[in-house]
Amino acid sequence: MSNSLLEIRELSKRFGGLIAVENVSFDIYAGEILGLIGPNGAGKTTIFNLLAGALKADAGSIIMDGKSLLYQPLHRIAELGVMRTFQHNSPFPGMSLVDNILVGAHTCFDSSWFSILTNSASAMRMEKQQRSRVVKLIEFVGLSELVETEVDNLSFGQGRLLELARALAGEPRVILLDEPAAGLTLNEADRLSKIIRDISDRGIAVLLIEHDMRFLMPLAQRVAVLNFGVKIADGAPDEIRRNPDVIAAYLGESRSQLQIGKEMTGC
Amino acid sequence: MRGFTIWGVFIGSLMALAFGLEGYAADLFRKLLLTATLCVGFNFLFGIAGQIAFSHVAFYGIGAYGVVILGFQLDFPLPLAILGAVLTCGVIALLVAIPSTRLEGFFLALATLAFAQLFSVVLLQGGEVTGGPQGLSGYPTPDLFGIKLEGRAYTVVISIVFLSTLAILLLIDRSWFGRACRAVRDNSATAAAMGVNVFRIKVAAFTLTSTLAGVAGVSYAFVDNYLSPIVFGLEPMFLLLFMIIIGGTGRHVGAIIGAILLFLAPEVLEEWVGRHYLLFFGILVVGTILFQPNGLIGMWETLWKRRNHRVIPR
Repeated sequence: MSNSLLEIRELSKRFGGLIAVENVSFDIYAGEILGLIGPNGAGKTTIFNLLAGALKADAGSIIMDGKSLLYQPLHRIAELGVMRTFQHNSPFPGMSLVDNILVGAHTCFDSSWFSILTNSASAMRMEKQQRSRVVKLIEFVGLSELVETEVDNLSFGQGRLLELARALAGEPRVILLDEPAAGLTLNEADRLSKIIRDISDRGIAVLLIEHDMRFLMPLAQRVAVLNFGVKIADGAPDEIRRNPDVIAAYLGESRSQLQIGKEMTGC
Repeated sequence: MRGFTIWGVFIGSLMALAFGLEGYAADLFRKLLLTATLCVGFNFLFGIAGQIAFSHVAFYGIGAYGVVILGFQLDFPLPLAILGAVLTCGVIALLVAIPSTRLEGFFLALATLAFAQLFSVVLLQGGEVTGGPQGLSGYPTPDLFGIKLEGRAYTVVISIVFLSTLAILLLIDRSWFGRACRAVRDNSATAAAMGVNVFRIKVAAFTLTSTLAGVAGVSYAFVDNYLSPIVFGLEPMFLLLFMIIIGGTGRHVGAIIGAILLFLAPEVLEEWVGRHYLLFFGILVVGTILFQPNGLIGMWETLWKRRNHRVIPR
């Protein structure tokens, strides 16, 4: 594989006496779908929050294209091309669906105050161009029929798609999806898999936290496994399933989950 | 095309009123226009940017007192005095915004309330500079490019101030800036994750709207040629808040409707109940918050939708 897009080295984060993430290192490559799994409390969402800048790491480094993302403010990380969705849907309730997604495109606007106040042709063109891009994104995730709906009235699954479209609107190079399939019907999850594959085909790196192995295992090209804040495995889904450490970590509560994943993919 | 017609009718009727009204009615119209100017600005800050700030009327006062102090006590030429007063507003707004927009909701309200109260104290204790409780009066009506700023000509000037304020707010509202403001209002953490610089957006919204209030204040200085500290106190501030809530928070048209309604209501109500009309306003606001949180404009839209979507029985 080519050079990594995002390089995570020896990342650590503790909350008081609790070590949430310890010395975790991995790479994310452009156009790759990387799954991040682990039992509850393994530190998956903490890693997400560290990558997106919502939490500050205690040690380690996060490098994208030679630039450190560590200790950058949230909005700067988005500007550099890391966009995320949230574990819980968080649309902007007072805004239309299109405006919600246009907020995702915030970093793509470069019209100045002067050109806005003079209603200049360039500002109007920018607005028009981004709007048509957003309309295409809405089509891409399949929400076209709901453009007029108030975002508060979207179903949970539709809200997931809004989150995805909003994150894509920022033209990310890395997209972080926090349990995108949780709470979706089988049909919706299928469609989401297809959308995520399309996203990675565009050359965007996808980092995915997921509990649902039936969803994740066929989708991910590589899987990293966390347990108690430590990375215990990193490899292709097949290797991960056979890895004794992973099986041990999942013994009991979630072994069945791994088994299910196996049956679904037939290997 | 329809947009042009609406704007044409709107500007046309403003100008017709500006030229047609005389005496008391013209005076009322000028003050109504300034109230509406304040309302649309405060609506942007409170309803769209989501900042619960009570400093808007204080900045109106800084503009008004600023231009009179600069122009007639320090004897600046008028254009310079106007520019100086507006700049002063902008700078003070920025200085207030930088620490206080780091606060949220209730705490921002308290900080800006303290600032407004401080401003009132400065006006009352300002000695000869602010004229104390008597305020400032006796300064001449200035002229601009040879036209005396009074009567019809001044009504036109104020109409232009109102229209420009509205135009500025409408233009930035439909740009990325307006969307960022709404996003920050709805969920600032998510907005930041989308690349919105929350702090900068908050400071910019506060500074911009406060400066616009200052511009309205500069125009107010020559409406009566008299400045009283009461006009810039907390009571007018809460009246502004009432206007927006009753008209429809976050909606430009709502702010204008609220301003017209509550500004003219005392003219009718005062004959009946004297100063007690404020009681009616209070009841109206509580009623609005309880039963129609989207205000009059929201109510009208609901009725309109219902009319257009009426199910026709087979």
